[in-house]
Amino acid sequence: MTAGEVVDRIKKNLGAPWRDTTYRDTFKSGGPDTPVTGIATTVFASFDVIQRAVEAGLNMIIPHEVTYWNDRDDKTVVSADPLVYTQKLAYLAAHNVVIFRTHDSMHDQRPDFTYVGSARELGLEPRYETAPGSHRFTLPETTLGALAATLQRRIGARAIRVVGDPGAKVRRVQLGVGYATPAPNDADVDVVISGEQQEVDGFLDAPEYVLDAAALGIPKGWIMLGHAVSEEAGMLEMTQWIKGFVPEVPVQLVKAGEPFWAP
Amino acid sequence: MTALSRRAFVRLGASGAVAAPWVLDPATIGAATVTAQEVVDRVRKAAGVEWKTATVDGFKAGDPATSVTGIVTTSLATIDVMRRAVKAGANLIITSGPTFYSRADVPTPPAGRGRGAGVAPPPDPVFAAKNDFIRTNKLVVWRFSDHWRVRTPDPFAQGLAEALGWLRNRTHDDASRLTVPVVTLEALAARVKSRVDARGGIRVVGRPQARVQTIGLLPGTRSIQDTVALLPQVDAIIAGEIREWESSEYARDVANAGRGKGLILVGRSLSEDAGMKLCAEWLRPLAPEAPVRWLPAGDPYWRPTT
Repeated sequence: MTAGEVVDRIKKNLGAPWRDTTYRDTFKSGGPDTPVTGIATTVFASFDVIQRAVEAGLNMIIPHEVTYWNDRDDKTVVSADPLVYTQKLAYLAAHNVVIFRTHDSMHDQRPDFTYVGSARELGLEPRYETAPGSHRFTLPETTLGALAATLQRRIGARAIRVVGDPGAKVRRVQLGVGYATPAPNDADVDVVISGEQQEVDGFLDAPEYVLDAAALGIPKGWIMLGHAVSEEAGMLEMTQWIKGFVPEVPVQLVKAGEPFWAP
Repeated sequence: MTALSRRAFVRLGASGAVAAPWVLDPATIGAATVTAQEVVDRVRKAAGVEWKTATVDGFKAGDPATSVTGIVTTSLATIDVMRRAVKAGANLIITSGPTFYSRADVPTPPAGRGRGAGVAPPPDPVFAAKNDFIRTNKLVVWRFSDHWRVRTPDPFAQGLAEALGWLRNRTHDDASRLTVPVVTLEALAARVKSRVDARGGIRVVGRPQARVQTIGLLPGTRSIQDTVALLPQVDAIIAGEIREWESSEYARDVANAGRGKGLILVGRSLSEDAGMKLCAEWLRPLAPEAPVRWLPAGDPYWRPTT
C-alpha cells in the first residue's frame, strides 16, 4: 500500500472536516506514492525516532509535531545548520522514509486523542470529569505538592515544572495539551496541567499570575509536563485507531520520550 | 543631602514628625529629590539607543510625578518583589518583565478568549490585590526591557556570565560567548543551577558526559533561528526559554547525531535576573538622590522530588 492510501483512510475516518488549507498536516518527507512497509506514530519525528522506526521495518512516520524544528516545517529556516539537518535528510532519503504530520486533524477529531491519552496516563479518570470533553476534573481534595508528585510518578517525566504553593489545597483541575494551555485565572479552576506555554509577554502569563496568587494565599497551581510528554500519551490511542483501518501493515507507537533531564 | 541617605531621611521624618516638623520639608535642609519621570528621562537619555515607538517599555502603574524614595530593579515585579521593595523603602520599581501578566500589561484582566470579544471579564482577586498594593504604597512601576536588552554589550548575557563567575572568560569581545576550562555538560548544569539559584526551572538537553569548553548565552525568550546560528559555534548554549517544538527538539537531534553538544534552559525570568542586577549598578550614578537596589525575582518553578 502507498502513503497516499493511508492518508486517504485517515481523512475518511476522521469524522471531522479535513482542513484543506493546513500547512501542518502535510507530507514532510516522501510523498503519496511512497510504498509503506509499516507505520510508526509518535509525538515528534526526531532523528532518534526515525532511526528506531526504520530499524523496526516501519518507513512511514505519522508524528503529531514537527520534523524540521519549526511550526511550518520550513526547511529554509534550518537548512544552514551543519550539525544534523543534512544528516537527517540523507537518512530519510536513504531509507525511503515518508512522513505525514497529523496535528490540526488530531485536534479537530472527537475525542481529541491528545487529551484522552494525557488524562489516561495522568490518572484523571472519566468519573472525575465534570462533563465529557470539558477536560475539567474535580478530584478528591489534595495538595498541589501531592498532586504534582503523583503526576510526575505516573507520567515518568524528569523535568516537569510547577508554580504555586505546594501546600495549597486543590481539587479542580483543567487539563491542557501541548501549547494549548488554559489560562490560570478562571475562578473555577485551582490547577492547570498542560505541556508548555511561554513564560512572559503572552495573553495571560501563568507563572507570574500563580506566584502572585500564592503570595496572596489564593490556591492556584500550574503544572507543566513539557510539550512532548503532554502529547505523546495520546499517540497510543492514535496507533490503535489507525490499526483499525490499516490492517495491511504493522502500526506501532515509537515514543520520542522526554527531551529534557534535570540536574 | 550628602551625609544623610534618602531612606534615613524618610525614617527620621517619620519618627520625628511631631517633635521636629521642619524635617518634613526637604527644601529646608537642601534635600535633592527626584521624580519617577525624571529618573526615566535620565535613563532614556543615558541608554544610548534609539527609542522605539512600538515598545513594551513604559510606565505600567503609579504616578510618574511621584517623588522617588528608592529604586528597585527586578526581572519580574511580582507581589513578593513589591513587598520586599516597600520593606526596603523603595517606591519606584524598574522591571524587565510585565507587571500585569501579559504583553498588554494593563491593570485589568484580559477580555476575549473563551468568553467572546467585548464581554467584560469577571472580577479577579489577583489583579485587584496587586492594584490595591500599588495604590496603598504609592508605587510606580516602569518597564525597561526592549531598550535595555539592545545595549552593547548585551547586559543580560553579561549578567549571566557574571553570575556564573565567568565574566573574564569572554570569547573575543562577545559578551554572549564564553571559553571556560573543560567541564562535562552535567557538571556545567550543576554549576548553572547553583550559581543562578535555580530551583525547578532548569532543564537540559544533550548527553550528560558531553565535553563543554565553549558556551553561548541566549538569555530571554529565543527563536530557532538564534539557536541554529549559535549551537554550531559552541559546545553548549545556556538560554532563558525557547519553543519546545523548535530549539529543544533541534538540540535533541543534534545530540542524537553524535554531536557532543548541549542546551541548558533556565527559564525566561531567571535568565534575566542577573542582567537587572547590572541595571541597578548602571542606574546608581544616574539617580544619586535615591538608593538603588536589585531584588531578584528568583526561579518561579519547583519540581517534585520523587
